[in-house]
Parts: sequence; structure tokens; C-alpha cells
Amino acid sequence: MISGMDGPSPINGSNLRFDSFGDALFAKKPRLPAMGWNSWNAFGSGNTEELTGAMVLKIKELELDKLGYRYIVLDDGCYCPERDGGHLRSDTVKFPSGFKAMADLIHSHGLKFGMYNDIGTRLCSGAEVGIYGHEETDCEDYIKWEIDFLKVDNCYYMWDNATFADPQNAKYSYAPNIKSIEIDGMSHEASKADITGTRAEIKNGIATFIGTFDGTAPDHTPIGLRSSELIFGIVAEEKCTKDLHVTYASGAEEGTGQWLQVAIEDNIFFDGLLPPTKSNDSFEVSPAIKIELHEGSNKLRIMNHRRQENTLLSYSKIRRGLEAAGDRDIVFSICEWGKTQPQDWGHKVGDSWRILNDITFQVGSDGNPGTAKWEDDYTTSITSQYNKAVIMDEFAGLDKGWNDPDMLVIGMDGINDIMCRSHMAMWCMLNAPLMLGLDLRRVSKGGALYNIIANKDLIALDQDPLGIQAKRIFTTISCANPDKEYIRDNKRTDVLLKPLANGDIALGFFNLDQEDKSYNISIDIDMLVRASGDKITNKGSFQNAGSFRIKDLLTGAECEFTEKSFSSGILSPCDCKVIRITPLP
Amino acid sequence: MTTERFVIELCRITGMESDGIYAKGRKNGWLEAEDEISKDRPLTRKNAARIFHMYLLKVLHVNDLDISGAKDLRDLYDCRICANHIAQAYMRGIMNARELKRDGGFLWFDLNGTDDDEEVMAQLSRFSSIADCSLI
Repeated sequence: MISGMDGPSPINGSNLRFDSFGDALFAKKPRLPAMGWNSWNAFGSGNTEELTGAMVLKIKELELDKLGYRYIVLDDGCYCPERDGGHLRSDTVKFPSGFKAMADLIHSHGLKFGMYNDIGTRLCSGAEVGIYGHEETDCEDYIKWEIDFLKVDNCYYMWDNATFADPQNAKYSYAPNIKSIEIDGMSHEASKADITGTRAEIKNGIATFIGTFDGTAPDHTPIGLRSSELIFGIVAEEKCTKDLHVTYASGAEEGTGQWLQVAIEDNIFFDGLLPPTKSNDSFEVSPAIKIELHEGSNKLRIMNHRRQENTLLSYSKIRRGLEAAGDRDIVFSICEWGKTQPQDWGHKVGDSWRILNDITFQVGSDGNPGTAKWEDDYTTSITSQYNKAVIMDEFAGLDKGWNDPDMLVIGMDGINDIMCRSHMAMWCMLNAPLMLGLDLRRVSKGGALYNIIANKDLIALDQDPLGIQAKRIFTTISCANPDKEYIRDNKRTDVLLKPLANGDIALGFFNLDQEDKSYNISIDIDMLVRASGDKITNKGSFQNAGSFRIKDLLTGAECEFTEKSFSSGILSPCDCKVIRITPLP
Repeated sequence: MTTERFVIELCRITGMESDGIYAKGRKNGWLEAEDEISKDRPLTRKNAARIFHMYLLKVLHVNDLDISGAKDLRDLYDCRICANHIAQAYMRGIMNARELKRDGGFLWFDLNGTDDDEEVMAQLSRFSSIADCSLI
């Protein structure tokens, strides 16, 4: 039995709390999005030492490392499904030489070695070697194996209803349904309290869904307050200690839980499970909870932020373990699929955070490229990931980390070359990690796949040292705030603007529709400067430019012209145009 | 039914020699280490789907169907790793969904559930028909 399996760990100190999500936790090394190859989309659980070695050789042969693709990451399926004396070890058939030998091979080619684990008790594949309870030991082993990158998943997590976890773990993620509270014999109805955010609601006089949106599926926007609290205004004539009683009904399902947090302003007085009630509509009065009121008006918060706090705590234990690597630089890739709104807290521990569930469930295997889609009503498509990532630019940056719309699906069946090209351009404009997910033996220098993944001009956008994710400044679907509104209807064209370190800007036009667009979108210089907000620091250079040098980053064509507007041209289905604009005197 | 018995039955109906099958199956990529280590455990439906699917891919070289046809399974996306295995086993008619009548009725796969021996043998029989066709 692993210690700490009987409930979420206590959270000591305030730096892992919801109220401190904006604060730093570890020293942060500014880092551009990671680039490399990950085994999952190419080979699923079937990756082997032999296949990985072949990918290493192809990266060198194609000189992809010179373009920035340096991390070789072993995803799920590489471990023996049981620990050996408490330690991880490799699958004896797939990786008979062990992980250190794999690391040595990869390092001998001047590349970097990445591995995978899971914050739960098992890996997603089911192997019973999740890092939970083994953080220190596993990190020591990872450091011994000289890893340079660690991706950590979220399956079988005990304190949330994550994939393969007990669905009833939702009891930890939500507060109970609340009818009222009582202090000093005075009852305060939930229906008259304030609700923060949009997750909770009052239904028949009962406050429910007090907690955090589950962001795994594409249903909810990542923008705005993603959690809800129930707020009571309590007036005290003097500083005093009182007994609080909560009338509640507990559950173990998304929306109704059993875990309650009570705070006055930022002082937390209770953080734990209440006794279960008979059902989620069978109300009982809680044991007394001591609270301290100050003189005057008190903001009493009934809440449960544990969905985010527990997950952050788990990732922070790993990050702390990796600190022992000292000068060894290890990229930490958070892969909890956007479930707990990691855009709020991911920067505290990681270098990137996945924003949704997987981009494809039809991964490849040796001899089978797998299948991807341009659009889908779940997360499993290029546009599903793009539609969420494109409004998340304010969460990303050199001082924070990167939104991760999952690994590239370029080269899979189900998408044509135009879709692949736009996919690459999108990910580069969005400062996404660029993890190739195809069998590189299918790539030849100068071939269609190579030309897409080796587009130096697009990669330069992703790796631009300014590190500013593109902002959507216009879309053909009517909306007031194109940079903030979550739009899932793909019958549209988006315009993205990305400032660059040398004072240039990149402008991208993306036709998301699978039909031709007959219109031509023009963006004039004034709109471009206005829409950029404070992101362009050399606005005058653009407004006063005598002419512009334009480079089409997909065709490589360059020209100079004096007009002060930039056009999309007619875009074919799923096509894009991305230009780099340099203002000239 | 245990994983071991399932694997042996699968070998029997496909005419594959079952001696040393874990080593062969793992090398060939249709069995995983956990199948061998946990061979005495009851076979879950998600693991049965995985083995059926990977056998189709790796031994019979049968291409995947588009996963969209399995979207009527309400728990398909609960299993990000095995969604494709489940979809392929379901869409090919090897493994049936379970139908619930709550809320007007819906289908689900029951990933972590198990089937009784009679049902697993019926699945193997249906799989055998597909395997026979793929060899023609």
C-alpha cells in the first residue's frame, strides 16, 4: 500500500492554492517550445528499441536536428508493467537493452532523450508503474538515466474522475450541494448568496456544481474564471470565533462532491471531506466548523478548488524530484489533457501543458501510419485542438510556458498535404511544442512530408526568441472579441497576428472550412497595429513604413510593395497563407 | 475467463501454435507484457478488444475502420489509449455494446467489465469468421 492512498495529501503552505496560482513556485528557465519526435502517434504502445533507433538515424539523415527537432521521447508502452524492487524498468521485449542504453544511443547522436510517466497509480496503458507515491525514486532513476524531457500523463489518478480512475473520485473535485449555512443560529440561504464564475448554479434553491470545469472535452471555453465559489457576506461587530454549520447533500459525481473548502477571504478554515449523506438530495447539517471573523464585513467562501490544487500538487512533487538534476536541463511536459484548467497553474511547474484530450485515438503502428482528422466534434482533430489553443495566447510566454495542442499528426492517413501544411503553420503560429508523430522512415529529403515538417520559415515562427503566441485578430464569423471567443464552427477563416523578435510580424490566414472560400480578406496596416494591442513594440515602423518586404512562408516567394494592406487571396479548403512582414523606411 | 485461457483459445481458433505464445505475441506486437504477467487475472473487455484488434493488425494485416462508427458508445472516449481497440472490435461485430435503458437508453462498452465464458467464446467465434475472411 502506498502511503497517502486514503485521500488527497494535505496542502501545506499557500503556494499551491488556487489563490496563488499566479505566483511562481520554482525558478523558471525561459525556454522555447520543445521540438522532437514522440513515439505515440507513430507506433502507439508498439514502440521498440529498434524502431526508436531507426528514428534517431532518420533524424540525423534528414538533418532534422539542425532544424530543432532534438528530443526523442518514449511514450507509453515502454515499461515493464511491474516495478522491480520499487524501481521502474524497461519492457524486456521492446527495450531489452534498458533505458540508460537508449539514452546513451540518443545522446551519442547529439540528440536529447525523453521519457513518459503518469501522476496516477498506473500508466494509461494499464501498466502498474504510475509515479504516484514513487516520485522521489522515479526522479532519481530518470536523472540516472540522463533524461532531458519528461511527459507526465493523468490516467488512474485517485483524486479526480480522470481516465480509468474511479468515476466516484468526483467526490474530491466538487463541493456538496449546499442549501444553507448557519452561524450563531442565523441561517443564510444559498439561493441568496453570490456565485463566482459560471460553473455553479442555483437550482431549486440549492447551490450545485461548486468546483472547476472539466476541460478534457472541447465543450467549454478556457477563457475566464473556470471555477465557482459560493460567497456569503457575513458582518461581525468584532473579531470573533464562531461555529459554522453547513446544510449539504453529498455525492460522488461530476457536479456534486463531498469535499468542502471554507475560507474567510484567503484564510482557509476547513479543507476536507464532510460525512457522506444518503443521497445528493438528502440534506444534513455538517459538524461545526470553526471560523474566525474579523470586525466588519467578511467574505465567507464555500468552495472546492481541489481538482486543480491536487493535480498541481502531484505535478509539483515530480518537478521537485527533477530539481535534483542540478544543471541538467529537463523539460517538463504536463499532459493532464486540460482537465483541471492547467492554463491557470501549469506555469508554476511545467514548460507546457496539454489543453485537451488526444488529437487522435487512431494512432499508428509499425507499417500503419494511423489516422487523423481535420475536424471532429470531439478533441480528435486538428481544428478541435486549434479552436481552443487559438484563444489561449495570454496564458503562454517565455516566462510561463506553452499551450500544447498535442503532437503533430502530419503524415497520418485521413488528412491531405494541404491540411498537414496548415496544421504545421497553425502549430508554429501558436508557439506549440512541435513533436513529430510519424514513422520517419517514410520521409525523404525534398519529399512532400519533409517539405512540410522542415519548413525553416515556419519553424522560425515557433522558435522566435520573442516567444509571443499569435493572437487571432479577425474571423469571418461574427464575434465581438475574436481573440477571446471560443468558436467551434469551422465554416470560417481566421486571421492570426504574431509579433517577432526582430520587429517583423507574421500574419496568418487560415481557412478552416473544407469548402472553397470565394472571398479575399484584406487587413490594412491600421487595423493590424490596432489589433495587436501592446504586442508590437515598433508600431511606428509599421505606420510610417514607406514599403514592406513580404515573404510567403509556404511558397518562399518574396516581394516588396508599398500598399498598406495585406490579403489572404482565395484560399482553397483547409488551406492557409502565412506571410512575414518587414517594414521598410 | 482468464487472459491466459483467452489467448490459448485465440490460438486454437486461428490455428496458431500456443507454445511460447507470449514471447511470440509480444515480439510480434499483439500481446503486451501485462498479458503475460497478469495472465491469471480475469480478462477485461478493454483488454480483449486490444488483443483482438492487435491480432487483426499485426498477424492478419487487416486495416482499421474509421473510428466514427463507434461514437454511439457513450464511454468510447473514457479510454483514450484503447478507444481504437474498442472501436475496431465493436464495429467489426466481434464484441457487442451493452445497452442501458436509463435516460431513454444508450450504448456503452463497459471497458473494465468482464464477459462470461459463453460470451467470450461467442466473440472468438465471430473473430474466427473475420480471420477466415481475411485469409481468403
